[in-house]
Order: sequence, then structure tokens, then C-alpha cells
Amino acid sequence: MSEWTLDGVPAEAMALWCAALGDDNAIHLDPAAAEALGFGPRTVNPGPTNLAYLLNMAMEAAPGRQVRSVEAALLGNVLAGDTVVARGTWTDGLCDAELVVVPDRAVLKARIDMTDGRERDDGKGFCHQRP
Amino acid sequence: MSQFAIPQGRFHLSAALDDAIRRSCAAPARDGEQAHPIFAFVAALGGLGVRVGDLCRGLGLAFDKGAVLGRCWIDYAAPLTVDTGYDVAAEIVALERKASRRFGAADHLTLGMTIGTGGQTHARVQLTTIMPVVA
Repeated sequence: MSEWTLDGVPAEAMALWCAALGDDNAIHLDPAAAEALGFGPRTVNPGPTNLAYLLNMAMEAAPGRQVRSVEAALLGNVLAGDTVVARGTWTDGLCDAELVVVPDRAVLKARIDMTDGRERDDGKGFCHQRP
Repeated sequence: MSQFAIPQGRFHLSAALDDAIRRSCAAPARDGEQAHPIFAFVAALGGLGVRVGDLCRGLGLAFDKGAVLGRCWIDYAAPLTVDTGYDVAAEIVALERKASRRFGAADHLTLGMTIGTGGQTHARVQLTTIMPVVA
């Protein structure tokens, strides 16, 4: 089991992510907009930022390995100021990961493939083929 | 969905942006030229030929009523590197209306993107954005 913690998701970082993503969704930038739409009184962390937390955990746990694929389901929201914990359980380079808002609300589950080699390559450099 | 062709876009992944994104999410500092792996996703959306909100609005979807990311898949063929420009080709994979516990009904828009440079594909991304159905 590997674990990574962020105490207090920073609200001010969300503008940077929105700019990089080309995302003008007001729930990430305006607490009033988030509250009006039922998310609560704080801004909502962009989903890719939450995924980055899981990747941080995986990179720290398996230094030097490449991420080959990620499959993720977003189950809930992280709000500014939340404390989050990323946890991973490893099997031969495959990490079953989840992000939890403290104390125990799972908001993101993912499988991160950091296996060595290309044994599951599709011949074009990818280990998966999406339908 | 072919009538909603998405123009090809481009994403410049600067070292400064990688540094800033890493700081913002408490990631380890970059070692060498490889960008944080989340940049496959960031490039996919940030390099889209149209802003994702405008795409959704153009499709008549309620992006401004609380759009959230539902699922995503990222397949990497090669790491993305800093100070590199990437071409982003995108298509609409699916647009489905489903029952929703939160909204009653919701539209699920799935986009597929290919990120590459110099004719070499570096990553493929699929992401599903969920938006409420507004009468």
C-alpha cells in the first residue's frame, strides 16, 4: 500500500488548471456559482487535478517507472480546502488507486499501469485499444 | 456525430507550465525533460481546436449548469516532454442521455483525442463529461 496526502486543496491553483485546460466552468473559479449549482460553498477542484494527485502517489511509489495507461472513474467532488489522501495497492506494476476526501469519502478510483516492458502492446506502442 | 467535426488544435507544453502545474498539485519536481503525466489530459483539452465549454454549448448541452468529469482513459505511447508543441486531433465518440441520481437525467459526452508531434503519437485520451439535462 502506498499513500500520499495533500492538506488543504488550494483554491488559487484552480485558475491555473482552468487556463491550461481551456475550461471556463465557473464551479472551479467562483464559490457562489458552485453553491448555486449545488456543489457547496467552495470552488470545485478540476477533475484532472484530482487525477494528478493519484499520479503523484504512483510516481513516488514507483520511481523511474513510466505510466503506461490510466483508467479512472470520478465518483465525487473535491472542494477547495479539503484534505485528500491518495492510496494505491500494487500488483506487479499495476496500481489500483483511490482518492479519498478525509475522513473517508472516495471521490476517484483508477487503475494506473506502470508495468515494465511492452508485452501488452498493440503493435503501435499502446498497451490498450479503446473501442 | 460527424456533423460536429472538431478542428485540430495545438498545445505548447512549456517547462514553465509543467513547473507551475507540479507546484499547484504538490507533485515532485521534474527530473529531465519529461512532463508530469497528467499533461496527456491537459494537452488533450487545452489543445482542443475549440474550448470544451464552447463545444458543449454548441451541441446544446448544459455545460454551465454544473458539468463534471465522469470517466477518463489515457494510453501513453511515449512520455510528453517539456518545451514541445503537440498536435491534438479530437472527435466526438458518443453523446448519450442517461438517468442520473443527482440530476434526474444527464448527458454524457465522450471525446477522443490523439496527442502527437512530428507524426508520432504520444498519447490517446478518452474523457466523458457529464452535464445535467435542463428542460
